[in-house]
Order: sequence, then structure tokens, then C-alpha cells
Amino acid sequence: MPLRRFVRLAPLMLLLVLALALPAPAQAPKSGGVLTIHPLSAPPSLSPHEESTIAVVQQASPCFSNLVYYDPAKKQESVDTIIPELAEKWSWQDNFRNLVFLLRKDVKWHDGKPFTSKDVKYTFDMVRGAPDAEGRLRVNPRKLWYDNVEAIEAPEPYTVVFRLKKPQPSLLPMLASGYSPIYPQHVPLADFKNKCVGTGPYKLKENRPGEYVEYVRNPDYFVKGRPYLDGIKWIIIKDRSTQIAAVQAGQLDVAGSGWNKANADTAKKGKPQLVLLENDSNVNDNVLVNFKRAPFTDVRVRRAFNLALDRKSYLVGPRQGGASFGGALLPKPAGVWGLPLAEVQKLPGMGDAVKQKAEAKKLLAEAGFTDKNPLKVTVSTRALAIYVDTASWMVDQLRQVGIDATLEQIETGVWHPKMTRLEYQVALNLTGVGIDDPDAQLFENYRCGSQRNFSGYCSEEIDRLMAEQSSTLDKAKRLKIVNEIDRKLQADGARPVLGWGKQYAVHWPHVKNYPQHENSIYNVSRMQDVWLDK
Amino acid sequence: MRGYITKRLLIAVVTLIGMSMVIFVLMRLTPGNIADIMFESAGYVDQADKKKIEMELGIDKPIPMQYLSWLGELTQGYLGKSYRYERPAWEIIKPRLPVTLELALLAMAFSILLGVPFGVISAIRQDKPIDYVLRVVSLAGLSMPSFWLGMIVILLLVHSLGWIPSVTYVSPFDDLRANLAQFLFPALAVGYRSSALIMRITRSAMLEVLREDYIRTAWAKGQRERSVVWRHALKNASLPVITLLGIEFAFLIGGLVVTETVFNLPGVARYLIDAIQGRDYPVVQNLVMFIAIIVVLANLAVDLLYAWVDPRIKYGKA
Repeated sequence: MPLRRFVRLAPLMLLLVLALALPAPAQAPKSGGVLTIHPLSAPPSLSPHEESTIAVVQQASPCFSNLVYYDPAKKQESVDTIIPELAEKWSWQDNFRNLVFLLRKDVKWHDGKPFTSKDVKYTFDMVRGAPDAEGRLRVNPRKLWYDNVEAIEAPEPYTVVFRLKKPQPSLLPMLASGYSPIYPQHVPLADFKNKCVGTGPYKLKENRPGEYVEYVRNPDYFVKGRPYLDGIKWIIIKDRSTQIAAVQAGQLDVAGSGWNKANADTAKKGKPQLVLLENDSNVNDNVLVNFKRAPFTDVRVRRAFNLALDRKSYLVGPRQGGASFGGALLPKPAGVWGLPLAEVQKLPGMGDAVKQKAEAKKLLAEAGFTDKNPLKVTVSTRALAIYVDTASWMVDQLRQVGIDATLEQIETGVWHPKMTRLEYQVALNLTGVGIDDPDAQLFENYRCGSQRNFSGYCSEEIDRLMAEQSSTLDKAKRLKIVNEIDRKLQADGARPVLGWGKQYAVHWPHVKNYPQHENSIYNVSRMQDVWLDK
Repeated sequence: MRGYITKRLLIAVVTLIGMSMVIFVLMRLTPGNIADIMFESAGYVDQADKKKIEMELGIDKPIPMQYLSWLGELTQGYLGKSYRYERPAWEIIKPRLPVTLELALLAMAFSILLGVPFGVISAIRQDKPIDYVLRVVSLAGLSMPSFWLGMIVILLLVHSLGWIPSVTYVSPFDDLRANLAQFLFPALAVGYRSSALIMRITRSAMLEVLREDYIRTAWAKGQRERSVVWRHALKNASLPVITLLGIEFAFLIGGLVVTETVFNLPGVARYLIDAIQGRDYPVVQNLVMFIAIIVVLANLAVDLLYAWVDPRIKYGKA
């Protein structure tokens, strides 16, 4: 090439090289399109305050708004990733005894009525079961979350004050959960069984029980320029193979609620262009040991059980490689409050399987159970595949240490009544926690007398420590107390955690900004930033 | 004939009342109730709140009282309210009926269109290669569960065409073509099994009839094969086939749970299972009653068809 021509072309070539070398500029989001997705199951209602299933949170979240919410773009939820929603600002006052919210003034309910502080007071008075609450929830699973709230005041139309009995930094994370939307005071509570009137980015178009829940864009949504989508259609597909076929055939944009790794791999194998997502779900497999029944009152028997269940075998067996190990709180790095990894490696069941099983046998012998006089145990579980798989594995593990274990499948309709009444010996259970927070997890499942403390475990010391961590403002100090609680719970064999399941999903590459959080599946379904590159 | 029909309808009413009692009592004897299910979603059971809910729904009353109250509502044309969705039960059931009826009718059509001709051909070509082929086809149909076949069809479609029938229901009034595309494969999957059954019954009935004297006479008179087989033999061989059709249709109305699940069709059978699991008594009771009515009517239709097909059969006379 002649030098003159080279000099002339050099700037162009330089530009070309730069264009190739630099990262591609972020694509500008496009508006339009309807996102099709399948939920875990049909929602029993569209009222998150009355339910405890992800199916409701998933399908109702696009309709509602919270005071505050977890930033969909930040992978790990923590107090630092909380963003305003209906509240413009908030501040802690009186040494974390009062939480004051200043609300947006430009918000309308889907039926056109204005949103005010009265709606916030109405909602949380109802949830905390205040004596003078205007509404009453028939079923109130998260009443305990707001146990520390003394009063809620709405001194002005756009100001709300939560007055607490004692400082509780966890209140803000709990208010940011998908389980904490604001309800309209003027809509009867019973309407949320089938309908939804919220302030969220999408308005309910149609809810056909057992078929689909369909939303359209809310043109009056208070965040300008959002949502990008024209709508969302949650299509209920019960059969997993049909779910996989539907996403492969392009009838679903996103699939994976309740999937394990094998399901996601199968979908991806059929359509390699699908984007595979893996994240911790904040749902754990745990063993309920009935503390009120002999021989489980004996710490040696509980420890033997814990040692007999080889966690590595659990990982490759029922969980097919999709789980992480930890104690009572979601382990690091996905979790914020879990035990340090080095400690997790030393928990019962994590060591050498042969040695641990030998130790388990020794402990059982000390407690009076030998090969000639084996401990007979019924392992109860819910008659759902995800439970039965792990429970069957558990029975096999227990038999390996000489325990005469049999499996009992309990129909879903009578599972919780039995658990609440402690009508079982040992059970395999799954526990999902709305937020990765010690108050949400510990009080509910381990406090003496709590309705969801299904093992009947009760320790005054643990109760005291739980209360202490709850009002500790310094995060590092609080983490220390939480870890101490976790260590003690593991030593006591209180509800041993087998592992924390991972969740898998797939979506087509044209789905952009699909939110996934590392430490919870419950707080990401607003969908206002999702867009389709079609 | 009119007297016979009236008598049959009266017996049907008694049968349905018996059915209603059985289903009513069985549902209530099953452990757990709707209040338990509501707490199920909450993840615990509060006994005091549970009692309040039972009172609100009226399930705290004695079973005979509940039954009478349901019957009273039925006589007024009210099917009760779904406990789960707090909507009138009819609102839940109504959109599901056409889905199941369409699937059942299409499946029946396929099974008749395939089963009867193949059965006849197999009989008149007994022990010929075509007979062996058709017998293998029918055995295969009987051996493969329709839901399994449905699943295989879906997998084949998605892998070969990258397409599967719509996973949301398309009404024929909105888009007939899309509706037929949606129902074609499940109807074929279900119809294939039924057609195999019909083919075998048709074949054996035809073989029996073809050996009758009057058929030999027809041959001797030099009648054409078409006339002998289709006019004389098939008509007389069709009684067991009609009986089978009646039974099959009744089965198709309530027994397509897995096929409806695999093809994601929002039909009666699939919803019935959901309603049973959710202890949604009003919906279960009414759906079971609907299936029972179809069974009773299908049997009545079969009996009436007998008389039409075989004039020797007279009803209403001693």
C-alpha cells in the first residue's frame, strides 16, 4: 500500500480497531411486547399478605408496590440495596425507635383513586393484627415480623411513622420484601382472592384460576418510562416436560420456576441459545426432629441423626449438584448472615462419611439402640416429588447406621396441621425464607412457641440471643451474635439443615434485564425494568 | 318407548342422588379440609383462626345439614361458591366444560373413524398380512398409555418442528384453525387408544357375524362384498361396539387428567384433581355430578341406539 494512501486510511483503521476493542455500548431498552412465563403453580390468591408461597409473590408482585424494595439490578439483597418505591425518603429517628417515611404524592391506585399514608397504616395495622385495625387477614403468616411495631401513625397524607418498642434494623428489610406490598384501604380484602388493585407497573387484565394471570402495562405508573413491557402473562403449566417443550418452542420467554439443574440442562440442550440462570434460592432442606418425643429428647440421638446424613451424598443425590451447604442462615457468598465457610465445612454431616456413620452408630449404642434393638423411626414428608426425593435418600442414609427407618408420605392438605401439632417423629421439610435476614428466619422457625417452630425446639438462651441480635445496630456485632446462635442451633441439632437448594431458570436471549437475586427468590418479580429485544 | 325413557330417567335421578351422597360423604371423610389448605399456604395452622374459617364456610355444621343445604341450593339452580377462589362454582366449571367435551368428541371421532374400518378390514381379511399389521397396530394402541403417547408427540413436535400446540386454550370461536391445531394431537393420542379397543371389538364381533347363516345366504345370493360386509354384517356386529363407545365416552369426560395436563388443556378432569387436592367441596361435588350425568346419559343413549340398530330390540314391552 502506498504510504500516502496508508496515512489517509490510518484514522479509519484506528477507529475500526477501537470499535472492535471497546465493549459494545449498552443497548437502549425497547418498549413493547408481552413477556410469557410460567410460575411455580397456580396462585391460591393474589394477596401476598395472606400467603406464603412464591407462586403468589411471583404473580402478584407486578401489580403492587412497597414502601421500599430491593434493587432488582443488585444481585445480593441487603439493607444497602434497598431502594425507594412508594416512599420517596425514609429516616430512622430516636435511636432506631421510629422509622419515618415520606411518601410520593403522584401515585394512583389502578382504579384511579389517590394513594395516601392511610393506605400504609391500613395495610400494616392489619398485618400486625392491631386491635383497632380496619381490616383483618383471615390467615396472617407474617404477623410475627411486625411484633415489635408499637404503633403506626399517619400524621399527614404523605407521611407515615412506624413506632417501635425497641430498635429493630430488620424492619426496613422486611418492608422491602415481596411479601410486604401496600394494599388499598378502599378495596375489600376479599377481592384480592381473584383481583388485584395496586399501584404497581402492571394492571391485572385477567385472572383465570388454574390457567393464567395476565397483566397489561399501567400507563399511570409513577416511575416515568416504566414498565417497558406491554404486559406479562403467567401461564400455568403443571407438567415439567411441557414447561420445557413450551420454552423450547418459543411459547414461553422464561421458564424454570421450581426447576432443578437437570430440567434446565435439558431445556438448554434442546435449544443451546437459551440463557441459563443459576442462583441460590434461600430455600433449605431441613430435618425436623420432634423435640417433644423420646428418644429425640436425647441429644446423642439427635447428633447421631445429623452425622448419619452425609451432606456430600445429598448434594450429588437428591439435589443433583444444585445446592450449597450452611447452617440456619443462607451461607456465604450468596448469603449475608451465614456461618463462615470454614465453619460450615466442620458441621455435622460434612466430614468423612464412613467415620461419621461409625460415630453415629456409637452414639446410638450409647443411647441404647443397637443392631439387635434398632431405633425404629418413621420419616414423614409431604407427598411432593421435591420432598419425597430427599426423604427417600434420608431413609437410606439412616438405615446405613442401623436405624430401622420407613418413609411416610403425607398429603399436602394435612401436612401443616400434622407439623403444627407435632404429630410426627422425624420429618423432611423445605423452608423458604422471604428475605435473607436473621429476624425473618430465626423468630419464625426457632423461637419457643412460634407457630412455625415445627420441631418444638425451645431454648431460653437462644430466645435471648435472638432478641439481642434483633436490636443490635452495629452490623458486625450483630453478625457475631447471629453466628453464635447458628453455632448453638447446629450443636443442639435443632432442625438440621441438609443444604440450601439452588434454583435454575432459562430465558431466550431477547429477554433483557430479567432480574435474579442471589439470596432470595421472593423479591424480584416487579418486572418493571424487563424488556424484550424483538 | 316414551315410558321406557321416563323410567330410565327416574332411575337416573335416583342414581345421581346416590352418587351425590357418596361423593359428599367421601370428600368430608378425607383428612384435612379447606381451612387446612388455606393455612397450608401460610405454612402453619392456627386452630382458633381455623375454626372461624370453618364457621364462615359452613363446614363446621353436621354433614347431613351441609348435604341438605347443598341440595337446597341445587334445586334453586345455585351450584355453591368455590371455597378456594370465592367465586360461584359455576363460574369456575363453565369454561372447562367445552374444553373437555371438545377433546372427548374429537377423540371419539378419531377412534370411530380409525377403529371401525380397521376392525372390519381385519375381520374380512382374517389371517392375511393386513390383518396381522392391523392387530399389531391395535395392540400397540392398547399398550401405550395416551399420556405417554402425548408426551412423545410433544417431544417429537418440538424437536422436529420447533413447535407444539398452544399452551393456552384457544376457543374455536376466536380462532377455529388454532383451536383445531391445539386439539388435534391430544385427540389423536387419546383416540388412538380408544380406536385400538374399538378395532378389536369390531373385529371379533364381525368374525362372529360373518359366520352366521344369513351372511352365508347373502354371499350365496351373489350380493356384493360391500353390501354383505357394511350393510348386513356390520350393522349386526355393531351392538358391542356401541356399548363400548358409550363406556369410552363416559371415561373420556372424567378420565383425561394426564392428557389434559400434558397438553396443558384447562379441562374438567385436570381441574377436578386440583379441586380435590384443595378440598374445594362445591366444585368437586358439581364436577363429579356433571361426570355422573354424562355417564348416565351416555348409557341411556347407548340403550336407545340398540333399538335403532337392531329392530328386534323393543323397549317398554314385556
